[in-house]
Amino acid sequence: MEIKKPLSTLKPNQGMLVTLLVFLLMPFVVGLIEGASPAQVWVNESGQSKFLQGLAIEIFILALYALSYDLILGFTGLLSFGHSMFYAVGAYLTGILLKSFGLTLWATLGCVFLAAILQALLFGMVLPRVKGITFALVTLGMASVFHVLVMSAELGKYTGSDVGLQGVLVPDFISPATERLRLYYIALTILVLVFMLYKRFVNSPTGRVCTAIRENEGRAKMLGYNTFYFKLAALILSSLTAALAGVLHTIYQPIVSPNVAGLGFTVAALLIILIGGVGTLSGALIGAVIYRLLDFGLRRYLGEGASFINGAIYVLFVLFLPFGIVGTWRLKSLGIKAGRERLLGLFRKTNQ
Amino acid sequence: MNVFIRRNLLLIIVLAALFGIFAAAAQGMETQDFVITLLRGLSVGSLTFLVASGFSIIFGLLDVLNLAHGTLFMIGAYIGWTVYVRPDTFLDIVIPFILILSGFFLRDVWVSLAMRGLFAGRMKRILPWLGLLIAILILVVILPRYPIATWSVDNYAESPTSISYLAGQGQYILPPPTSFDEISPILAFGGLIMASLVGAFSLSILGGGKQPLQARISWRSFIGFTILLLLAFIIFIFNDPITNALAVLNGNLLFLVALLVAVGSGALLGSLMESTLIRPLYVRPIYQLMLTLGLSAIGIEMVRSLWGRPEFTMPRPELFAGTGEGCPAASLAGWWNYHCSTMILLDGRIRVYNEIFIPTIGLVVLIGVWVLLKRTRLGMVIRAGVQDREMVEALGINVRRVFTQVFALGVGLAALGGVLAAPSIGLSNVMGESFLLNALIALAIGGLTSYPGAALGSLLVGLLQQFIIKYGAIGIPIPYTDLVFKPTPPIVPASTILLMVIVLLILPNGLLGKKE
Repeated sequence: MEIKKPLSTLKPNQGMLVTLLVFLLMPFVVGLIEGASPAQVWVNESGQSKFLQGLAIEIFILALYALSYDLILGFTGLLSFGHSMFYAVGAYLTGILLKSFGLTLWATLGCVFLAAILQALLFGMVLPRVKGITFALVTLGMASVFHVLVMSAELGKYTGSDVGLQGVLVPDFISPATERLRLYYIALTILVLVFMLYKRFVNSPTGRVCTAIRENEGRAKMLGYNTFYFKLAALILSSLTAALAGVLHTIYQPIVSPNVAGLGFTVAALLIILIGGVGTLSGALIGAVIYRLLDFGLRRYLGEGASFINGAIYVLFVLFLPFGIVGTWRLKSLGIKAGRERLLGLFRKTNQ
Repeated sequence: MNVFIRRNLLLIIVLAALFGIFAAAAQGMETQDFVITLLRGLSVGSLTFLVASGFSIIFGLLDVLNLAHGTLFMIGAYIGWTVYVRPDTFLDIVIPFILILSGFFLRDVWVSLAMRGLFAGRMKRILPWLGLLIAILILVVILPRYPIATWSVDNYAESPTSISYLAGQGQYILPPPTSFDEISPILAFGGLIMASLVGAFSLSILGGGKQPLQARISWRSFIGFTILLLLAFIIFIFNDPITNALAVLNGNLLFLVALLVAVGSGALLGSLMESTLIRPLYVRPIYQLMLTLGLSAIGIEMVRSLWGRPEFTMPRPELFAGTGEGCPAASLAGWWNYHCSTMILLDGRIRVYNEIFIPTIGLVVLIGVWVLLKRTRLGMVIRAGVQDREMVEALGINVRRVFTQVFALGVGLAALGGVLAAPSIGLSNVMGESFLLNALIALAIGGLTSYPGAALGSLLVGLLQQFIIKYGAIGIPIPYTDLVFKPTPPIVPASTILLMVIVLLILPNGLLGKKE
């Protein structure tokens, strides 16, 4: 029997750990580069560090959202065009409950999670009837109805109709203006925890069955699994995560625009995981970083032509990185490793 | 018969329910309102059908969800506008375009040259890229200096917006023809032909390595090449007379030319898209979504940079533009005599172009494509391919070529829809998106790969939307109360989506879709 070495979990995850370390230290390092002492960063003085924290929080939120989409599309094989509804329900419900009903944050969280489970059940209700592209269209329909509800003038008192939900009073201890560093670490912690949970889930027996459903549903059924329950489980987990991302969105952003309920926001999730690689959890994280930075950088420096370059980049991605960044890396890394070995071998031979 | 009813019981119930709703909706309004709404629904339904039918054939045979279809619809509209309002620009563009295209007619010559082994080994690998570089360099040098009469997006007086406004008033005069100032015509022509030959040579060697080709040169390619060159020269020499002839041409004929050019360029664009970008992605279906989304963004930006952001109109052809004596016409004969823009039908006033012409074209296309699918060899292959692609391939039919043709057909239909829609709803960068969404909904209602389903679904979507819009104006009285429910604009798209969800939950494959 092989004895597990203490470092055996560190070695395969070193990339993740280094990234985590970078993000943990980032506010202070950026502060130092800019000339602000860690103490100044600690008390949230405005500056480059605070700005970058904000950008990073947005990326964390997007990454959470993309992770949840990757779980149902990449691992369970359910193509849903209504995913933005999961996110928007979280965002809107948080805002409404905090603003119009004056609930505490914890009660709000509880309500949001309940609503998330309910809407996952709603999506699950149609699961046995429609499959494949039809499921995508039905979910698109449900999300559009929600979008119309949010935009409607009758509910404008609560949702702010087409202007968006504004003026949500966030509890002081996580206010993005005065306590951004804390919010940054909270968002990072949530992302890391959710990522670990997802990793555990996809490697658990349940997750394995989900992957089996993606590969061949008929066969999974043949083996005696009731695929409906597994798909429902994935949907609920995904809905909870997306709702959590929505909650963070409301806390961080001053306004919840109705765009987050639209088809465009689902497409954003799709693009993120296509950039990163479908069915690779880390791909969703990398994709979120690239997507947000691309969007931000292009709009800032190019203005008008940004979406042209954006579109061109997507086309280039599809043509030259056919399985996303992480997917392509996983396919090619063996070849790259073998090539390096061969090079080193040549080198050694000449040395001898 | 009994078996038929039992098998299609759900479908019959759904259709009966839909008809019941329709009848109830008809009861609630005046006859003239009803006729107008019906015709408007037919009009929107026809435009939706033009997008949906192409989308459906492409999805059925190629399994590609072409999300750029709405953008191609819009590009068709802009091309049609250019030909219709600015024929001089169109003719100026045609010449370099033909010249660049000409070299590709000699493709088999290049491939056979490559196969004879005139250059082997390293040369064979470097030469194509070198040729491509040279071709691009020549184009970069020549094309910006090539004179093309055009509008200016930044200068308001020469922007498409004001040009189309003046053209709508009948006051627009084409600017004086351009001349070769910066570059001599011989140099420009020689350079373009050179670039075309070198580029075609490189591209055919680059692409030819993968597929087996016959190394035989046929005279047909030379003849095609010569004809193209001759055509370019003729247009060049008689550029001004042809422009004048087009400009004074009866507006109806020019509109026909615009339709044909838009459909042709749409088909060309489609075949180009399929053969270069989509072909490598058949093995990775999800990524097609990303590709077509990216292409859609690129297309919108291109149109924005060429034609500008603001919306503008396209004048209606003369046949549908008369307002003077004898108008509004009392009957179709009156319309034919006075070329009225409106006519009276059952005391209601309808626009002839929107409410008679567009549905007629929709019907013609419906029947035309139906005949193509049912009565020709290509249609047979397409139908067989929708059923079972591997089997068709196994029978030795070049499915790849059929794919390209089908894609070209679908995009051509979308472009046709765009040009038809332009005079009635105007041109804008985002006009395609709503039609794409409508078409998707229509297909889901009718059955994704079913051609009659596309027609039925489009009709339902168009009618439902127009009836809801109409009821938004007159209001629906809620029974047993005094309340009147007026549907607000956001309900219009939502209602079709709701119909889609209901239909899909009852019949997961759509109304006329095949059961799996």
